[in-house]
Amino acid sequence: MNFRKAAFVVLAIALVLAGCGGKQKADTIKVGWFGALTGDQAVWGENEFNTVKMLFEEYNAKGGIEVGGKKYMLEAIGYDNKGDAQEAVNVTNRLVSQDKVVAILGPNASGNAIPIASTLEQAKVPDIATVATNPKVTVQDGKVKPYNFRVCFIDPYQGAVAAGYAFDKLGAKKAAVLYDVSDDYSQGLTEFFVKSFEGKGGKIVAKEGFTAGDKDFRAQLSKIKAAAPDVIFMPYFFTEVALSATQARELGITATFMGGDGWPSPDLFKLGGKAVEGGIFVNHLDYDQPTVQDYKARYKAKYGKETELNGYLVHDAVLMLVDGLQRAGKVDGEALAKAFESTDIQGITGRIKISPTTHNPEGKDAAIIKIVDGQYKFLENYAAQ
Amino acid sequence: MDSYILGILMLAGINLVAVLGLSLLTGFTGLFSFGHAGFMAIGAYVGAFLTVSPARDVPGLGLPLVVGILGGGAAAGIVSWLVGRITLNLKGDYFCIATLGFGEAIRLVFNNVQRFGGSRGWPLGATRNPQDIWVILLVDVVAILLVANLVRSRHGRNMIAIREEELAAQVTGINVFRYKMVSLVTSAVLAGVAGVLLGDYLTFINPKIFNLTKSTELIIIVIFGGLGSISGSVLGALLLTALPEVLRFFEIWRLVFYGAAVILIMISRPQGLLGGMELTPAGIRKILAERRARQALRAEAAREAEGGSR
Amino acid sequence: MTQFLQQLTNGLSIGSVYALMAVGYSLVYSIMNFSNFAHGGVIMLGAYFGFFGLTTFKLPFAAAFALATAGTALVAIVVERVAYKPLRDRKAPFLYFIISAMGASMFLENFVIATIGPNPKPYPPIIPREPIALGDLALGRLDLIMFIVSAACLTLLVLFIDRTRLGKAIQASAYNMKASALMGINTDSVVILVFALGGFLAGVAGVLYGMKYMVYPTIGAITLKSFIAAVFGGLGSLPGAVLGSVLLGVIETLVAGYLSSQYRDLIAFVILIGVLIVRPTGIMGKAVEDKA
Repeated sequence: MNFRKAAFVVLAIALVLAGCGGKQKADTIKVGWFGALTGDQAVWGENEFNTVKMLFEEYNAKGGIEVGGKKYMLEAIGYDNKGDAQEAVNVTNRLVSQDKVVAILGPNASGNAIPIASTLEQAKVPDIATVATNPKVTVQDGKVKPYNFRVCFIDPYQGAVAAGYAFDKLGAKKAAVLYDVSDDYSQGLTEFFVKSFEGKGGKIVAKEGFTAGDKDFRAQLSKIKAAAPDVIFMPYFFTEVALSATQARELGITATFMGGDGWPSPDLFKLGGKAVEGGIFVNHLDYDQPTVQDYKARYKAKYGKETELNGYLVHDAVLMLVDGLQRAGKVDGEALAKAFESTDIQGITGRIKISPTTHNPEGKDAAIIKIVDGQYKFLENYAAQ
Repeated sequence: MDSYILGILMLAGINLVAVLGLSLLTGFTGLFSFGHAGFMAIGAYVGAFLTVSPARDVPGLGLPLVVGILGGGAAAGIVSWLVGRITLNLKGDYFCIATLGFGEAIRLVFNNVQRFGGSRGWPLGATRNPQDIWVILLVDVVAILLVANLVRSRHGRNMIAIREEELAAQVTGINVFRYKMVSLVTSAVLAGVAGVLLGDYLTFINPKIFNLTKSTELIIIVIFGGLGSISGSVLGALLLTALPEVLRFFEIWRLVFYGAAVILIMISRPQGLLGGMELTPAGIRKILAERRARQALRAEAAREAEGGSR
Repeated sequence: MTQFLQQLTNGLSIGSVYALMAVGYSLVYSIMNFSNFAHGGVIMLGAYFGFFGLTTFKLPFAAAFALATAGTALVAIVVERVAYKPLRDRKAPFLYFIISAMGASMFLENFVIATIGPNPKPYPPIIPREPIALGDLALGRLDLIMFIVSAACLTLLVLFIDRTRLGKAIQASAYNMKASALMGINTDSVVILVFALGGFLAGVAGVLYGMKYMVYPTIGAITLKSFIAAVFGGLGSLPGAVLGSVLLGVIETLVAGYLSSQYRDLIAFVILIGVLIVRPTGIMGKAVEDKA
């Protein structure tokens, strides 16, 4: 055999081997995840992917999960999309066509969850979004998207809860809103808060915007101060919450601060200190409830830092996935999507009963949390009327 | 074909349309724009308005994609004409900053316009059609022919003259403002068309897609491909659209390597892949001839050096 | 009236943040004739150096400050050597410098995300946050300090450039690099000096910014505003950079306060374009040749 032939044989063998390696091993279930591991949303992406990896390792350490009478190991394949819509489509394509995953967990951002619907439908791979709260993630033009699911409540509900609590419980009659004009989450919550608050007979005395990257809000806050609101609704993420709260107090504003699920983070107190004291926000769960303590401790032990909100929700997304696989009885995206439609499990963030008509968890209560002495204090579960 | 590879190819094709326009503006006319994502946004929103079915939550007119492409391109062109009227007299970085500000301002407007979903975006509702790759390819071919013919015409030579020495071009009687305008409007039309195609591909648009990073990405492709080279733009669009995907291997270090790669390309081959060269039969002959001439020159120099030392 | 004064104070304070960043930009521009987009990344590193100096190494403030500014000066020189020098040697057009600078900025930002992580971090309290109350007017102590530091940096820099031999060399090189080299000025050293100074200023800006707001990997994004301010004021002119920054800060604040906070940047942009139409090289800029 001459050299050229030998080289060809070696190459052919290598290709065949590589081909085998690429195929799904009989006893592994591949699950995709994607989210932002770089860019300004990376805090949440890292937390989600860490949680997924930790839970999968735990399942595998116990011998994997049983599907249709057979034991399977779980494998997480995660990609970074920078929080970018275009890359969301790229990685979803990659997960379904090259990695051949059976389901995808994440993303956390609605603007990334919406454009992947078409790919999911074509590939028949279901997705469970974590904190994507825009109604259009699962339902559009009055029709439910067959392969999109989520484990969180949605913006209209969250906005209504915040407005209802402010008006009915706190007795606020005048509210001001400061929001991030360039952020979909912030604009969504603002819209529904304003609608609900005005619907109840309250008055929005100021509605001021800023754009992503801004760290100084004193121009808007000075204007809000002149309008003398009872509460200021701050529907954005904890970094900006800490900064705007600090600046508001420095300007002598005494109104109560309110917010949504962008608030909770172990970093909020570090960054906001005294200024966020007394702030009230709507959350997906009470961090002190007994059901989450175990997960919280395991995460801290493994990664050396506290989990963020997203970790709790992706935890329940994993529970929903495993439950779905076991009920489907086979490793198949289409069967899995069918099984997801009848999900009814107890997650650590509450009961997750997926509605077949909206693919949202039904009747998930919102937790009202108040910041007291640098701690998250659970006030009550509150449902919007 | 694998939907992943197909997706990357479609994106590369879409990027190419915008890059060709920017190549005309930057590579052949010497103007540097940081605002082309803004023109893409205008194209995308107008295109979506024309094509989205009236039955959707956020309705459009439900016209065919071709109308969307033409309308999106035209809208971007008209806006660029207005922008050009005001800013084309600015020089160097001042023009840069004006285009940068324009791009950001357009984004802000779309963020605030609730009719099209504001910053929450506009789900266009359609299913992604893999056959659209042919539409993209067709648009690519048309765009290449358009730019290539423009560059080779008298107009193109005038543009290059402006790039090389604006003052001298003016003195020889070239209407500098007019050619800059032709270049800007053409590039904006192409960016607008790319925006329509991107919206069609993503089936969703929001203002965030058309941010400064998008503008920068386009410029980097143009420079990487080589200023003043159309085939360079084609090659650049293909390679650089795929590069971030290839670098996935590095996980969170991906963009660190991307940044390093950009520096490395700039310092090791600042003329880009194909600066001033074309991969056409005539272009290749020219490159080979130049190369032979260089080799001959070197050989002669070596002979002389030998002769000297003897 | 109180509200107007408060908004004016807010605007001046934001303006001095921009100014601190813009001076470094403009200094590099004046000699290299390109916009150094890596400046934002260096400022961000300055904020982190200061932060780690204060927290991890528990240094006193003066030492942490010295560490941060020395660190950024060094980083700026390294960026120049790696990303710009090869281009200078080839006399590449300014476009290439800008792209190389963007690559550097992307590298620095993502390097920090990959190594330190994306979470924002607060500076330990150094100066009391409670503002000085003048009637109903709240005047932040840090705002005052930043304002003074920007003014001091500008004055010292202008004195240095006007009164010292090295400064004269910078001036000469800014005027004409080739001729200066022929006159026996080591222009390469001048470039290093300019980047060191620019880096030092980035360190000052980074530490103060971190103290006023917080430290996070994407601080660099805010320097876009200071870049706009520098253009507004006239590229290459140091007093112009400061003036442009202060004006931009005040305009932004007043627009947000009295016209529309949602459309703030749009209106500010229209004003900027208006100024450029009347004065195509900014308020105090030198003329530029349009050459890519």
